[in-house]
Amino acid sequence: MKRKKTVRKNAENPQLEMTPMIDVVFQLLIFFIVTLKQEDILAHLDISRPAPDSEQRDEQVEEMVEVIIGHLQTGFSMNGVIMTLPELDRRMRQLASVDKEVPVIIKCTGPSRHRRLIEFLDICAKYGLKNLSVFSM
Amino acid sequence: MAKRRAEMAELNLTPMIDVVFQLIIFFIVTVKMNEEINEDIILEDAPHGPVITSDTDPRTLIIEVDRRGRISINNVPMSQGRLRKILVGRWNRYHGAFPVMIRADYRSQHQHVRSVMDICSSIGLWRINFVAVQEHKATAGRHKGRKDRYR
Repeated sequence: MKRKKTVRKNAENPQLEMTPMIDVVFQLLIFFIVTLKQEDILAHLDISRPAPDSEQRDEQVEEMVEVIIGHLQTGFSMNGVIMTLPELDRRMRQLASVDKEVPVIIKCTGPSRHRRLIEFLDICAKYGLKNLSVFSM
Repeated sequence: MAKRRAEMAELNLTPMIDVVFQLIIFFIVTVKMNEEINEDIILEDAPHGPVITSDTDPRTLIIEVDRRGRISINNVPMSQGRLRKILVGRWNRYHGAFPVMIRADYRSQHQHVRSVMDICSSIGLWRINFVAVQEHKATAGRHKGRKDRYR
């Protein structure tokens, strides 16, 4: 009699059905794989805007670099000399090897693309130049 | 017959329902996240720039500027006047300066970015950060093959 009872109990409490759970878990897995969109790693490029009295302060600084970002084909000029981005890169490397705290004044023309400013700021970040001010022309 | 009935036990729906609810919650959360990013904006590469980490100041405000110069915050377009009001409101709430990031499209003109920077500096925000892509993960190859990188 005892044996019979145990058989009945086993029949009433059957094993958990795993198949539908596995199905759903696989669906989830596929969904994640399909929708998983890795995020780009973003960088921040810090600049400062000219304060109202900055012109007076700039006059006091003797060593200062002025870079103009234009909208023409050449695009860049440094202290009045027109140059390409690789040339500018070289000059900034030389500058940074002497003094990383040198103030860099970046002047952008209105129609110039934002891309050019970022390209130059990236060069400054590459050589550790942090004293950057962006003026608009 | 009795044996067969015992083998055909009822399906336990509870774990399935659990998983389905998890899925629904996941959808709700991710859909909202996508709406907050303006996907039209393509950022310029800055492989040497410092990475934006997850422990960025929570007060940071990200202002978006698309290629045509339209301003938006969290993908909500707005006028310059509205942006100024928002900035003034935040300034009053935080009792001073807070970090500002400009997420501008690489094709946008400086004059459009300038208008945002001018609004920022008019209320006393002198420090501005530009957002750029340090490393491509999602948009691999978007800028690849652009021969005019050094022009």
